[in-house]
Amino acid sequence: MDKVLLKKLGDPEAHKIDNYVKAGGYKALGMALKMPPDNIIQAVKDSGLRGRGGAGFSTGLKWSFIPKDPTIKKFLCCNADEGEPGTFKDRGIIDWDPHLLIEGMIIASYAIGAAKSYIYIRGEFALGAARLDAAIKEAYAKGYLGPNVMGTGFNHDMFVHRGFGAYICGEETALLESIEGFRAQPRKKPPFPALAGLYSKPTVINNVETLSCIPAIIERGAKWFSSIGPEKSPGPKIFCVSGHVKKPGLYELPMGTTLREIIFNHAGGMLTEKPLKAVIPGGVSAPMLTEKDLDTSMDFDSLAAKGTMLGSGAVVVMDSSACMVKTAYIINRFFSHESCGKCTPCRDGTPWLTNILMRLEHGEGKQGDVELLEGLCANIFGRTFCPLGDGAVMALRGALKNFRNEFEYHAKTGRCLG
Amino acid sequence: MTPVLHGISILTDSPTVVSARAGALEFLLANHALDCPVCDKAGECELQDMVHKYGPHKGRHTEKKFKFHEKDYALSPVIIKNSNRCVQCIKCARVCREVVGVNVLAAIGRGDHQEETSFFKTQLDCDHCGNCIEVCPVGCFMRLPYRYKARPWDLKGADTVCAYCATGCRMVMEHRDGTVLRARAQYGVGVNSETLCARGRFGFDYINSPERLTTPHVNRYGKLEAATWVEAFDYIKESLMGVSGDEFGGIVSPRYTNEEAYLFQKLVRDVFKSANVDSTSRWEASGVEAFAAAAGMNEGGVSVFDCMEADTVVVIGAQISDENPVTDYIIRRISAARKMNVIIVSPRAMKLDSSANLLLRVAPGAEGAVLNAVALSLVPDKTGGYAQTADIAKDMIDALVAKLKASASVAIIAGTEFLRHPESCAGLGFLKDSLKSSGKKVLILPALDRCNQRGVWEMGAHPGFGPGYAGVEKRGKGTHEMLEAAMDGGITSMYAAGVDIVSMFPDAQFAQKALMRLKFLIVQDTFMTETAKMAHVVLPGATFAEKEGFYTNQEGRAQIIRSLLPPPGKAKRDFDVIKAVGEIFDTGFGPKNPALALDEMRKTNPMYRDASLAFNNKRNVDNKLDIKAALVKAADAAPPSVKCAPAAIAPKDDKYQFALMTGNHLFHSGMLSKRSVSLTGLLNSAVVEICPEDAVFYGLKPGAKVIVKGAHYEAVMTLTVRPGSKRGVAFIAENYQDCPVNRFFKKGAGTPQVAIRPCS
Repeated sequence: MDKVLLKKLGDPEAHKIDNYVKAGGYKALGMALKMPPDNIIQAVKDSGLRGRGGAGFSTGLKWSFIPKDPTIKKFLCCNADEGEPGTFKDRGIIDWDPHLLIEGMIIASYAIGAAKSYIYIRGEFALGAARLDAAIKEAYAKGYLGPNVMGTGFNHDMFVHRGFGAYICGEETALLESIEGFRAQPRKKPPFPALAGLYSKPTVINNVETLSCIPAIIERGAKWFSSIGPEKSPGPKIFCVSGHVKKPGLYELPMGTTLREIIFNHAGGMLTEKPLKAVIPGGVSAPMLTEKDLDTSMDFDSLAAKGTMLGSGAVVVMDSSACMVKTAYIINRFFSHESCGKCTPCRDGTPWLTNILMRLEHGEGKQGDVELLEGLCANIFGRTFCPLGDGAVMALRGALKNFRNEFEYHAKTGRCLG
Repeated sequence: MTPVLHGISILTDSPTVVSARAGALEFLLANHALDCPVCDKAGECELQDMVHKYGPHKGRHTEKKFKFHEKDYALSPVIIKNSNRCVQCIKCARVCREVVGVNVLAAIGRGDHQEETSFFKTQLDCDHCGNCIEVCPVGCFMRLPYRYKARPWDLKGADTVCAYCATGCRMVMEHRDGTVLRARAQYGVGVNSETLCARGRFGFDYINSPERLTTPHVNRYGKLEAATWVEAFDYIKESLMGVSGDEFGGIVSPRYTNEEAYLFQKLVRDVFKSANVDSTSRWEASGVEAFAAAAGMNEGGVSVFDCMEADTVVVIGAQISDENPVTDYIIRRISAARKMNVIIVSPRAMKLDSSANLLLRVAPGAEGAVLNAVALSLVPDKTGGYAQTADIAKDMIDALVAKLKASASVAIIAGTEFLRHPESCAGLGFLKDSLKSSGKKVLILPALDRCNQRGVWEMGAHPGFGPGYAGVEKRGKGTHEMLEAAMDGGITSMYAAGVDIVSMFPDAQFAQKALMRLKFLIVQDTFMTETAKMAHVVLPGATFAEKEGFYTNQEGRAQIIRSLLPPPGKAKRDFDVIKAVGEIFDTGFGPKNPALALDEMRKTNPMYRDASLAFNNKRNVDNKLDIKAALVKAADAAPPSVKCAPAAIAPKDDKYQFALMTGNHLFHSGMLSKRSVSLTGLLNSAVVEICPEDAVFYGLKPGAKVIVKGAHYEAVMTLTVRPGSKRGVAFIAENYQDCPVNRFFKKGAGTPQVAIRPCS
C-alpha cells in the first residue's frame, strides 16, 4: 500500500507549501471546491471513514448532522490535543506534513459551511504549533485561506489554539470550553456539538488523522478508500508502536493488520529474548491483550469483540520483565492527575485507586486490596461525566482480568511475581 | 446525560441507583475532613444528611487524606474557609458570578486538588454578602462572626423580614440564649429566595449591642438621667398637657411597622389635633407626594418579577447595586436568562452596569431632564424638543428612545434620587403618560432604601395625605417646615419616633438649632442618637427582632415580621410606647394591639383591605417566589398633585470641582448599621468616591487620606475610586459618624459643591 498520511515522514523540506504543491498538494481542495458540499459529505460517508480519535464514529455521518441553514454560523475544530500516553501519531502529520491537515480542514469546512476553523494543539507540541502557524501563513499567502479561497467565493479563516497541558482538553466539549476561554471541563450532552458546540454554534470536531484522510478521499475517490482494510472500518491507519520492540515508531498500515504482523513484521519483533507478556492495543485506556490475542485484526469492531478498543492506535508492547501492578499504577496515576475535578467518581475515585496501587507496588498491600480495587472500579465505571474515568477503570480492569494473580501476590508478599 | 422527556419513568430506588448514590457519597467522604464535632455546619450539613440517609455507613478508605491546608483561612472579615470539607459542587463560584455578579470566587487547580477560592487565596475585596456561605452544602464557607458560637440545634429562630432596605428579603433570625447569632435566607421563600446582602446577613448584631437603651431617660436640670416609665410619662403629661394643634409635630421612622406608623399618625392627628406628621427627616414632604403620584404608588403593588417580564427595564435614580443589593441580584439573574433591555441612567457606576445594554451617565439630579427629553421624543409631533439637556449626548437619548419604541412593555425602577431632587418626578410622570399613550404597558417600581418607607406613607404618616393616600382636611407641615416653624416658635413640641433628625436632615446645623428652640422633645429610639441627646424625654424602643407587625416593601408587598426576643431591660415595643403616650391624654386611645390595628386598617384603608399575613413564609405551590396575594391593592384616592420647583442651583464656584452626591453605602444604611460590629468591621470610617479619571487629573491617590472641603464643612476621609462613574461627581454616603455628610448641606442651597485635595 502506498502511504497516504505519513508519506512525508522524515523529509525535512516537506512542510513547505511549494514542496507540498509540487507533490500534488491542494489539488484535492481545488476538486472539492467545485463539488457541491453535500456531495463531499456523501463521498466521505461512502468511503466508510471512521473517526481516528478513538471512538470510531462515522465521519461523514457526523458532518451530515450539521444544520444546512446558511444563516447559522458553523465551526470546525481539529483536535490535536494528543495526550494519551503512548500516542504520537498526530505529531507525525503536524510536524512533517502540516499542509495535508490544513487542506483536509479546508475541505471539511467547505463541506459543512464553516467560515472559521480552529486547531487545538497541545501546548507541548512547540514545533508542531510553529509549523502549523507557518503553514497557515503560507496558505493565506497562496490564497488557500482567507477571503475567496482559490477564487471560488468560499471564505475561510484558520486559527491555531495552543493548549496548556491538560489531558481533559482532548475531550471534545472540554476542548470547546478551553477555546472559549473557560476552565476546561466537559459539557453536558445533549446538546451535542453538532447542534450547539463552539460559542453555542454547530461544530464539527475531528481528529488530525481523520481530517488528513480527506484530501485522498476526494482525489482518489471513496471506492479506493473503502477498498483498503476491512469493510466496516476501512482506510489507512497510523499505529504508534512503543515498548519492548526492536523498532518502535510510527507505522502507516491498512486498517485490520493483525497485532502479530505489526509487532513482528514491521516493528522488528521483541527487543530481547524475553517473551511478550501483554500488549495495549490503543492507548493506555484500552484494556491490555495477551499473547493469545496477537492474531486479532486491528480495527474498531474486532478489538471491541475482544473487550478492548482501537482507540488512538497506540500499541504498547510489554515483555515478561514488566510488572503489571506497576504498569497499572503508572497508568492510573496519569488518569488521577489528569482528572478535571468536575464529577465525583473520577475526581475522588481515581486518586483512591492510585493510592491503593501505590501501596501494592511499594509492598504495603493488604489483604482485600484487590477486591477493594474491583469494588471501586464498579463505582466509577459508567458513572462519570466523560470517558476519562471510564478509561482509568478499563485499563485497570484489563490488568486485573489478565493478571489478577500478580496483584494478589503483591498484596500477600509485597513483591513482584517471578 | 439523559434529558427528561414526556412519559419518561425515573427510578430513584433501583439497585443501580442505590449503589451509585452510596458510591458517590463514599467518594465524597474519601477526602472529606470528617471533623463534624468541630464543624459549624454539623447538624444542618447536606453531606451529613445524605450519608445518614443513603450510606455508606462503613468506611473503606484507609489511605492518607489529601489536605489543602492545616488551618482555616479568612477570605473576608465575615467569611472563613476550610477547603478540606469541600465537596466541589462549585455553587459558591456560581452564585458569586451568576447572582451576585462580583465574580471573585473560582476553582483553581485540577482534580482532587481543585479548590474554590479567591485568586491567590487572599482577602477578598468583594460585596462580603456571604451568599457563598448560604449555598455551601457543607462547612467549607462559614460565617466568621458566628464561628464556634452555637450548634444549629442550640438556635431558636423566627421567620422575619430584613430591616435594612425596602427590597423586603425574608430571612430567619436565630438566637441562642437571648443573643442573636445568625440571619439566614431560605431557599424558595421570599423574593430573595436563598440570597441576602452583607447588611442583611451580617448587619443584625446591633440588636445585641451593649449600648442599647434599656430604660427611659428624663432631662433633669439639663442632664439626661435614667428614669422609670412612670416618671417619663408623668413628665410628658406635665409638659404636653394643653399642647395641641399646630404647635405639635411628630415624625415616625420608616423602620417602624405599619401598625406603629398607623397608631403614630392617629396619635398626632386625633390626640394632639395636629396635621404635622411626617416619616422622614431626609426629604421634603412635597417631593414625596410628587414621587408617589408619578410612580403611581396609589395604584397598588408592582411585583419586581412582573417588572422583569418587561421588554425593557430602566433603572433610573437608583444606586440599586448598593442600596437594594438583592433587587440587583434579581435583575442580574433574570436578565441573563432572557432577551431584554436593561438600561441604567445614573451618575455613578454600579455593579449592575455589566448586565445593562445601555448606560447613560448623567449629572446628579439630571434624571428628570433625561426622562423629559425621552418623553418628548416619544410624542410624535414634538420631536427634537430637548435641546436644553445640554449635559446628555443626543445619541444616547436617541438610543434610549429607540429601545423604548421597540418595546411593548417597559418597567421603570425609580430610586431615591427622585426624592432628593423632586423636580425630576415630573419627568417620570410625563414619561409614564407618554409610554401609556403610545400603547405600551408601563410598570413603575419605586426602589426605596428603608424597609417600611412605603408602608409608613400608606399608613398616612405624611402631612399631605392620610391612610391610603386619602386627602387631608388641612395640609400639615413636613419635617422641613416643622423645623422652620420650630426656629421661629410656631412649633413648641415634637415627638421623634425612631428618627435621628440631627444626623439625617440635610443641614445638620439648622436641624440642631431648630431642635434646641423646642420647649419639649420626645425621642423614642433604640440607641442614644444625636437627636436623643437633645431630648427632654428619651423612650427606649425595640428593634425589628423584638416586635410583631408587618412591613410593606418597595413593591407594595405586605410581609409579617416576628418577634424573636423581648426588648432588653425596661425597653418596650414601640406600639406599646406610642399607645401609652396616647393613653396619657385619651384613655380610649387605640387600637390597643397590633392585631386590632390591622383589623382597623383593613376596614379603613382600601389598599390593605385584603391584607392577610397567612401567606407569609410559605412556598408558593408553583414554586415561584412571587406571592401576588401579598401585594397591596389600589387606593381610592391619589396623592395630591404638587409641582416641585427646581432646587436652587448653587452658583458655579471654581474653588469646588465636584458635585456632592449622597445615599447609602453597600455596607451601611441609615445610622443603625454603624452599631453593627460586623458591618463596621467591613467599613468603619468615611470614604469619598470619585471616578479614576478625576483622581488622576487632580493628582489624588486612591486609598490615601484626602480633605473634602465644602462651603460649610470640611472633613478628612479616605479616597476611593469607582471606574465608570461620571466625572466631576463625588459621593459620600450618609452613614458615617466621623463625617456627617449632612453638614455639607445648607438648607435651600441645592446640591453642595466640594473640593478634594490631598491631606498634607
